[in-house]
Amino acid sequence: MQFTDQLPHRSLTVLAQDPSVSRGGRALTDTVTVPNEALSPGPKGHRIHVIDYDSSTDTHIAPLADGLDDDPFRDVSDIDALVGNPHFHAQNVYALTSATLLRFEEGLGRRMNWGFPSGAHQIKIAPHAFREANAFYTRQDEALLFGYFPSRRKTVFTCLSHDVVVHEATHAILDGLRREYTRPSSADQAAFHEAFADIVALLSAFRMENVVRFALVRGHRRDQRIIKEESIELDALRQSALAGLAEEFGSELTGVRGDALRRSAELKEGVDYLSQPEFQEVHRRGEVLVAAVMNTFLKVWTRRLEALNPVGAGKYDLDRVIEEGVTAAAHLLRIVIRAIDYTPPIDLTFGDFASALLTADREAAPDDRKYRYRKILQDTFAGYFIRPASSNGAGPGFWHAPRKDMTYGYSGYAEMRWDREAVFRFIWENRGALELNDDAFTYVASVRPVTRMGPDNFILRETVVECVQLVDVEARELAQLGVEKPGEMPDSMPVRLQGGVTLVFDDYGRLKYDIGTNVTGGNQSGRLKSLWQNGEFSREIGSERRFARMHRERAMKYSSYWQEQW
Amino acid sequence: MPGKPDRLTLKTYQVGFGDCFLLTFHYGETAKHILIDFGSTRYPRGAPRGYLKKVATQIKKDCGEDLLAVIATHRHRDHIRGFEGNSKNNGPGDLIEQCNPDVVIQPWTEDPDAPRNASGPSMGSREDVQSFVQSLDGMNLFARSVLPEVRHLFTPASAAAAAQLAFIGENNIKNKNAIRKLIEMGGNGRGHYVFHGGKSGLEGKLAGVKVHVLGPPTLRQSDEIRRQAHRNEEEYWHFQDAFWRFQAHAVRETGRRGSPLFPDAPLAGDLIGTRWFRTRLKTARAETLLKIVRILDDAMNNTSLILLFEIGDTAVLFPGDAQIENWMFALGKPKYQKLLKKVRLYKVGHHGSLNATPKSLWDLFEKRGGRGDPERLKTVLSTLGGVHGSSDRNTEVPRRTLVKALKRESDHMSTEDIPVAEMGRTIELDLS
Repeated sequence: MQFTDQLPHRSLTVLAQDPSVSRGGRALTDTVTVPNEALSPGPKGHRIHVIDYDSSTDTHIAPLADGLDDDPFRDVSDIDALVGNPHFHAQNVYALTSATLLRFEEGLGRRMNWGFPSGAHQIKIAPHAFREANAFYTRQDEALLFGYFPSRRKTVFTCLSHDVVVHEATHAILDGLRREYTRPSSADQAAFHEAFADIVALLSAFRMENVVRFALVRGHRRDQRIIKEESIELDALRQSALAGLAEEFGSELTGVRGDALRRSAELKEGVDYLSQPEFQEVHRRGEVLVAAVMNTFLKVWTRRLEALNPVGAGKYDLDRVIEEGVTAAAHLLRIVIRAIDYTPPIDLTFGDFASALLTADREAAPDDRKYRYRKILQDTFAGYFIRPASSNGAGPGFWHAPRKDMTYGYSGYAEMRWDREAVFRFIWENRGALELNDDAFTYVASVRPVTRMGPDNFILRETVVECVQLVDVEARELAQLGVEKPGEMPDSMPVRLQGGVTLVFDDYGRLKYDIGTNVTGGNQSGRLKSLWQNGEFSREIGSERRFARMHRERAMKYSSYWQEQW
Repeated sequence: MPGKPDRLTLKTYQVGFGDCFLLTFHYGETAKHILIDFGSTRYPRGAPRGYLKKVATQIKKDCGEDLLAVIATHRHRDHIRGFEGNSKNNGPGDLIEQCNPDVVIQPWTEDPDAPRNASGPSMGSREDVQSFVQSLDGMNLFARSVLPEVRHLFTPASAAAAAQLAFIGENNIKNKNAIRKLIEMGGNGRGHYVFHGGKSGLEGKLAGVKVHVLGPPTLRQSDEIRRQAHRNEEEYWHFQDAFWRFQAHAVRETGRRGSPLFPDAPLAGDLIGTRWFRTRLKTARAETLLKIVRILDDAMNNTSLILLFEIGDTAVLFPGDAQIENWMFALGKPKYQKLLKKVRLYKVGHHGSLNATPKSLWDLFEKRGGRGDPERLKTVLSTLGGVHGSSDRNTEVPRRTLVKALKRESDHMSTEDIPVAEMGRTIELDLS
């Protein structure tokens, strides 16, 4: 059979949240869209290989050998039947990871690659990797590892939590997009990986009709068709969709999943959380960004609802309300994903992300008059004291066009779409205009051509390039580079300064944006201070899996007095 | 008997990776002996069978079968294993018991009645104390659960991590026999379970010597420190407790259920296509488990007693295995800073690990410095290299940068230089 004989996508059954979110023994399931591919047992596809090996018990469960082209769990809603079947667990992680990857590819308009040094194309997923309340992405093992643990007469499987699976898959995808984001840097960058993974997980959940319905009508009749006006006002939605839904989640998973949904309801606009000491800790800091995005989502949703006609006095059609919520989540998720292309390659701040979001939205949908998404986004972010990095928060917040004229013509447009050497030639010839450091080790980390479709069906073609700069010095040399040495840092301590620029070229090969951080600029002082205060210079050298540690620390709130160590 | 000691001696027994010290205050012809810790997790090279019993026999002889006090700084095996008794009443712990200690001193966390006694203003609520003590048991339980898992985690890539895991895991298993013996020895009012700023149990028993308890802090004291370090942070112990109680529950539940996760699921054989990943996953598991076990090891170390003996202008410091979180409370107080400046003899914390001699503590010692000063700081290190930590990761024990500083700025003695046949070595401090 030719591939062209098949539909490009198919649907697979997953748990819409986790097994704790069920009613009368019936699971809250949904279907997700995944690429239609010829699977091997595992399932093993062209991007994902599920291997059900348990390192705690040295047990390897044989994968399902038949029916791989089908969805064997399509008609199963008995929660015990799903939880008790390891092959459903395998399908759940395969489908959710595959759907998340597809969402990124559709959003960014190109194929994604994993960030593995080996160049491997298939990520390995172990749905029952170990007996521990943890789940994490590990670059060095090219894997997503999900733990399980006993709790109150049952076993809790992290691989069955929609949020946990999508969160970990997003870590892996983001690592492929911005490899440098896992490097220790500013407090914002450290918090960003977690926050971004939470945002993608939560918005993905709200893209599922069954989850939105559950959030709105939980405790009410299953066949409810009408919703009251007061239930769809902003505060009511905040209560039902954020706090209320968080309440339904199994508390056993809080240590693994975090509590971003609940925090999004708790953290109010108008408070400068980010300057408070408590919010210097990465997880707490990340919650502020999640709250900004989730509250933007609620406002966009309510904005869309304003256009709905009531079906009676103060009453609305529930299906339409749900549909608007799903649409708002889908739109915002697409923008959040696209924004990554407009972020600097290294040393990201929340302000950079705000500018990236606004730019991504404008590029994809230039006409914002109907719902005014961008105004809502900018105002809500300002409520959390996150201001676009462009123009210090003033104006519309988009990234600017390059301030200086560039020299073109050394490399052709076609090769600039894919060839790192051709792009480097452009960078080299324009290093002055781009304000790059001549002495730094400079390399092009990626060249990615993109083709995107806006909501108004306009096709947008761009090329996104990551250029990274590194300078290795001793602490005593920082002053001559205009960088402030953290107070107690020994003069002889080796320090790596890192900066770089994301270059976005338009359909004609002209530079539209140069978004970045100078490798020896003044902002390096703040970055070094943050690294020094967080003990990153003294962290144990070795192969500690970063996300394993971060997630464990979230569960334990563990910290240490590294300054006192030998 | 004179009103103050004219000299003190410290005999350091060669126990490999562990601690065992006999501190003796000499009042003319009269001597008062205090045994500080007696344990080992790895015997020195060449140690014969039944080595700890031989050490106990030597201690018995050295103290003339008369101990004023036994101090067990914390429950790690490398500090208390020597207190194990046996049914014939001739185990090493039995021999120590036969020296009839007047006082047995342990940290408050070892008090079998800790929750009931948690009534002082500084201790913390009864529920918190109970919860914390349970979390220590949870740690022991978790450590024990790790060991069977370690057996199949050995791969060429994970061998180092797995070996460390086995070593630290073993050290953190609850040593019930020794704990029972210490409780027995402390019966009839002889047991004292002490905390920062409280009484030591040696009041009135050592003329001219004041014994200060610098650690461990109580839960309430610890929270105070955490709040200073991380304003507004919710209570540190509570998170720790919850985590370890959770782990303990998981271990118990797993043991109770016993059956495989999916009893009816067909198992795969050694699938070639998954072999690479299975090996990687084993390594990942060994390394992440090691991180957790290290955290519990540190937490247990932080229940350690820190005792300072003040004799006029001289101070002698025994911090057990206390790490910085334990130390912070004392180090923040001017009263103790002043006392610590006087230290002339320092038992190096936690076998010389990187985080048990806080740099701010080391900087306080005024007697450290160049050779030639008759009152120059003396440091004693009981350790065994190559069994704990890794030099590749700058976590080796003893930490080479610390040892370098000890050698440069103090008269330093390490048990690594004591042959097994010698069994122990004594240093002396003139107090006259």
